[in-house]
Amino acid sequence: MNTPEQHQDIVAAVLAFIAQDGCSDDGFDALALRLFAYQYANDEPFRRFSQRRGMTPRNVKRWSELPAVPIDAFKELSLRCQPPSAADRVFMTSGTTRSEVKGRHHHPTLAIYDSSMTRNFGRRFMQGSSKLPMAILFPTETVMPNSSLAHYLALAVSQFGTAQSRYFVGPQGLDSAGLCEMLAQAEHSGAPCAVLGATYSFVHLMDELRQRGTCFRLPPGSRVLDTGGYKGQSRALPLDAFYAQLSATLGINRSECINMYGMTELSTQFYDGGNAMVPSVKSGPHWIRSRIVDPLGGCDVPAGERGILVHCDLANFNSVTTILTEDVGVAVDGGFLLLGRAEGAQAKGCSLAVEEFIRVATA
Amino acid sequence: MNTYRTVAGYLPGLARDDVQWQTLAFESAAGRVEVEAPVLTEQQITALARRVRQASRLHLRTMTVSQIIEVVDRAMARLLDPDDPYRQQADRLLPIITGYDTEMVRLGLTAFFKTFRAPQVQRFVAEDFSNPKLLDEFQPRPKGGAAMAFGPDLLFHSWAGNVPALPLWSLVCGLLVKAGNIGKLPSAEPLFAGLFARLLAEVHPPLADCLAVVWWKGGDAQQSAAVYAEADAVLAYGGNASLEEIRRQLPVTTRFLPYGHKLGFGVIGMAALDTLRGPATARLAAIDVMRYDQQGCYSPHVFYVQRGGRMSPREFAQSLAGELANLQHRFARGSLTLEDAAAVANWRQAIELQSLSAAGGVELMGGDGAAWGVAYADQPRSLAPTALNRSIQVVGFDNLDQVIAQVQAHRPFLQTAGLAVAPAELFRLSQLLGAAGVTRISAIGSMTSPEAGWHHDGRFNLLELVRMVEIEQSAELAADRLAPYAD
Repeated sequence: MNTPEQHQDIVAAVLAFIAQDGCSDDGFDALALRLFAYQYANDEPFRRFSQRRGMTPRNVKRWSELPAVPIDAFKELSLRCQPPSAADRVFMTSGTTRSEVKGRHHHPTLAIYDSSMTRNFGRRFMQGSSKLPMAILFPTETVMPNSSLAHYLALAVSQFGTAQSRYFVGPQGLDSAGLCEMLAQAEHSGAPCAVLGATYSFVHLMDELRQRGTCFRLPPGSRVLDTGGYKGQSRALPLDAFYAQLSATLGINRSECINMYGMTELSTQFYDGGNAMVPSVKSGPHWIRSRIVDPLGGCDVPAGERGILVHCDLANFNSVTTILTEDVGVAVDGGFLLLGRAEGAQAKGCSLAVEEFIRVATA
Repeated sequence: MNTYRTVAGYLPGLARDDVQWQTLAFESAAGRVEVEAPVLTEQQITALARRVRQASRLHLRTMTVSQIIEVVDRAMARLLDPDDPYRQQADRLLPIITGYDTEMVRLGLTAFFKTFRAPQVQRFVAEDFSNPKLLDEFQPRPKGGAAMAFGPDLLFHSWAGNVPALPLWSLVCGLLVKAGNIGKLPSAEPLFAGLFARLLAEVHPPLADCLAVVWWKGGDAQQSAAVYAEADAVLAYGGNASLEEIRRQLPVTTRFLPYGHKLGFGVIGMAALDTLRGPATARLAAIDVMRYDQQGCYSPHVFYVQRGGRMSPREFAQSLAGELANLQHRFARGSLTLEDAAAVANWRQAIELQSLSAAGGVELMGGDGAAWGVAYADQPRSLAPTALNRSIQVVGFDNLDQVIAQVQAHRPFLQTAGLAVAPAELFRLSQLLGAAGVTRISAIGSMTSPEAGWHHDGRFNLLELVRMVEIEQSAELAADRLAPYAD
């Protein structure tokens, strides 16, 4: 049984690993296998899942051999090593897809999530700046306590935002007047700022600014972070059009428009180095690794072929390290290209496909 | 790898250089096919539609139904001849284009073409017209007066599906009611309709201008608007969303015949589950799952299996799994796109996760590497589509009424039910299933091969296309009074 000491040891080991400057393949494998043994011992549904695949701490030797748990498992099963407690932070999926059941990711402590986020964010988004005034296009953590993105953005503000940072999405939607004021001020003062939020909020912003006939030329050093895609909350623009318009509207180079790829089921995020070219190359820090697999066999696809992304996130200490996503990717030098979701197969024949059935069933 | 090049569509009156072409490429283990598909302008589509309408008035309207059947029969004789170049092209290219097993396609095509030979087509006409001469000339009516059936001047077909040769159904219907036919190829199988049109023109040259086969990219609104403005009737296959889109664009006076995607299922009663019949039933069920990898509207997604027989529902599921494994050797599943593979993987994972969750009661048969999957559920569960490509759900039940409750909620998607029950139950159950929305009841093993003359989705294939023109008795009597020999 999982003792408090065991739990503390694991947390300490993961924190120490994240604090390193990098890691060797062996170092990554060693912590991945230690976490596997811990999760196998303490997470009963995960143990049964692994056993069904004939994988146990005895025969798994590398991180890439770890059983990849489909993200739907966060809906169906209770994936956690620590017993539930009132003090847990539980992040839930937004539930925009499939059923109404939401995936739940339990964090008995946020120390690891926060350390993973800040270390990676500092390097990939702040790029050396210590603090920036931040405009957040997303509700606050108080409004959405179960949203991992709300927590992520709150961390960004508390760790990397100046006192002028503000939220611009409230119960009335986007406060574009307030936001325009802040952006105009930045433009006027010449001090760089950052705008962060959900991708669809940027579409709302661009629509609003176009209606007002306004655009900005934000000072050099300003940057944008969007994440999450459109989720049916705004019209869906092709990637290239999105960044072209974003760059034109805010006067920020496309290379300073950074996209973050994260998931409720992970504790670590991926970033690109701007979106001058799309799709951009995504990569993560040393404590997360990815494979691109054939969804049916689970084997790696040949280099250069499309497949489904599997992530092994060593910051996922309490749930499972290795998850099978529904995202299509292709491996490239320095990371992977994210090519969208593997949408339910399009009906080619005359037989009913699941997607259409669900559309009707939930209409 | 062999690469084949071919041209899609059939465009009477248009030279190759008049048209822009786009290449659609298909690849499978058997080779690569590059299909040149025509991209027509609105003006070209309008001109083509008018040409077809005009030619049909002159050359198709003037034929009798018997003559039309005779022409179709000659075309089928060609397609049933393994040495015929048209048939050889279909046999060679369709497996690559659709990704299906070569032998499965060959056998499927032969069985399908057989249903369009003269006696079968005559039966098909007789299903809708007890007196087929109604399509040729005015015929006396029992109530008095006379009637004649007129097809639309121009019938537009919007085909879907990669079940090979599917456009044959609606094209033959269009010919039988003497309509000018213009059809849009599905991008998933852009070969067969054009091939058939060319063959027909070769078999009976006067028909050369009476049909056209076109293509445009899904969503190209100008091209569709051009054809909708000309057509008198529109017959479309597809998902409800795309059917809705077509309906929205059609003038209210245009007759619209939509055929949506469907969800088939089978019911296997106790009587079919003894030690002798059980395994045989599972073998037939597996054939229905295998044919065209469940892409047909009639393909099964769920088998409801009754408890209480010598073979339990779970044993039936195991037996079905074994048969699917056997069939994989003879007729391998087609290669899957990443999206299809992900859909199958999601379906499998969902079952696996349910089996691990507290509720349990479900089981997945067939390992990760298997090219098929059988999900077994001990408790009743609502009818729902599987991920296709040989993924099938087996559900145990106690009495037949439970099955009715599971399926009737999905009336808009019902069509075929395969039954293996005793005679007394066949009629009682069929009545309940019919009331629930089912329109076709077949044997297990025949779900995917509807008989000639079936009523697709419970509708009258030919009657729905025609307009009855009646000469009332009063007109006949009035004419009599105007006769030169009137007293």
